[in-house]
Amino acid sequence: LKRLIRLKINGETYEVAVEPRTILTDVIRDSLGFTGTKKACDMGNCGSCTILMDGKPVVSCLLLAMDAQGKDILTIEGLAKNGKLHPLQQAFIDHGAIQCGFCTPGMLLSAKALLDINPQPTEAEVKRAITGNLCRCTGYHKIVEAILAVAAENKGYA
Amino acid sequence: MKRRRAITNLTVDYLTGLPQFDIFTPITINEACSLLFKYKDQAKVFAGGTDLLISMKQKKANPKYLVNIKNIPGLDRIQNSEKDLKIGAMATLDSVSKDNFIRERFSLLSTACNRIGTPQVRNMGTIGGNICNAGPSQDTIPALLVLEAKLKLVSSQSERRVPISEFFIGPFETVLGQTELLTEIEIPGPPQGSLGTFQWITKLTETDETLVGVAVIMIIDETTSRCIDIRIGLCSVAPIPMRARRAEAALRGQRIESNAIEQCAQIAAEEISPRSRADYRRKMTSVLVKRSINDILHSTKIVQGGRL
Repeated sequence: LKRLIRLKINGETYEVAVEPRTILTDVIRDSLGFTGTKKACDMGNCGSCTILMDGKPVVSCLLLAMDAQGKDILTIEGLAKNGKLHPLQQAFIDHGAIQCGFCTPGMLLSAKALLDINPQPTEAEVKRAITGNLCRCTGYHKIVEAILAVAAENKGYA
Repeated sequence: MKRRRAITNLTVDYLTGLPQFDIFTPITINEACSLLFKYKDQAKVFAGGTDLLISMKQKKANPKYLVNIKNIPGLDRIQNSEKDLKIGAMATLDSVSKDNFIRERFSLLSTACNRIGTPQVRNMGTIGGNICNAGPSQDTIPALLVLEAKLKLVSSQSERRVPISEFFIGPFETVLGQTELLTEIEIPGPPQGSLGTFQWITKLTETDETLVGVAVIMIIDETTSRCIDIRIGLCSVAPIPMRARRAEAALRGQRIESNAIEQCAQIAAEEISPRSRADYRRKMTSVLVKRSINDILHSTKIVQGGRL
């Protein structure tokens, strides 16, 4: 039996019909078309489905869509503002921190959550913040460099 | 979380997703307990979901009804006083690990919560869920065992407090009744002058299941360097989390020197009953007990009332 719920994603409110068993990843990707949120292990291990819920990184594959009502959700599509890339996105491009790109949305959101509460993290803190995001191209080094570069020039970072 | 069969699970679960169920979202403890009473073994409590949804995707659990307790106000509260600490069962692992009072006074519990899973899982998973899931390797338990925590279990008819040492009866089995809800974890203030630590090793990577977890708190007489009291809590080395009481007794009252520490660690390694990788787990138990005691010996900070 489907129920109507309201989800607030990237500042917009969407109304969708879901079953109790509907997983949030599927609503975000299939019903709403935000395919930047990836689905891979579906078990909460890989972090490719990471979104920010009320500012905190969570894996959307282990969340029921119904449970996300009333929460402020940010997906990768909401990171760039007015056609301008977020400093982290620009840094990932500049440092070659993207290979196949599958882990990138989750990596960026985990990094954003870190910098929001800790604008100038140490290298160890950066590595710890992305432990929940697997990169199978094993490009971790450049990802950490990119995040640290944003932290270093962290003037006016919101 | 078992990982060995991850590849086969991945294929199957991707195709099938979650089984059908219905969900209730009560907003009071009473309402939640009534639902549990009404549906008994057909219902499961749905907290953080990081363990339950995985079991359901893997078809290891197939509840007809979920009782979602996320929307009950106040169940995630962390209250502290000079006497004790009360942690609401729905407090996330992240909020427990980052709570300033817990970091200062009960740092081994903060360390243990911060060790579980990934940042994402810690933002979702709850301390109550970690306890009630009752796997042999749940990381919060050794710390709660040495802190002698009590669990507040509430049903629609009654309310009781169970010491955590009596809560577990087998792997994934507890004394929690079908219609009961764990609402709060009560932790007495740390013993005067006590110091503590949590040490662990994992199977492979940082986010893997704990292979051996050791929590130790000690009170040391600084002038004679005798061990006034010691408590050792272990996980992942027996069917249920346990205290190494014989090892504790061996060191209690003794002068703390390398022979005594060695003997204590050896007894702890003999006391456990690991089922798989037994030799390795015994060896690592001994290593981690030794490491914990030395860690405590070399830590110098004692704040009033103890710092764990």
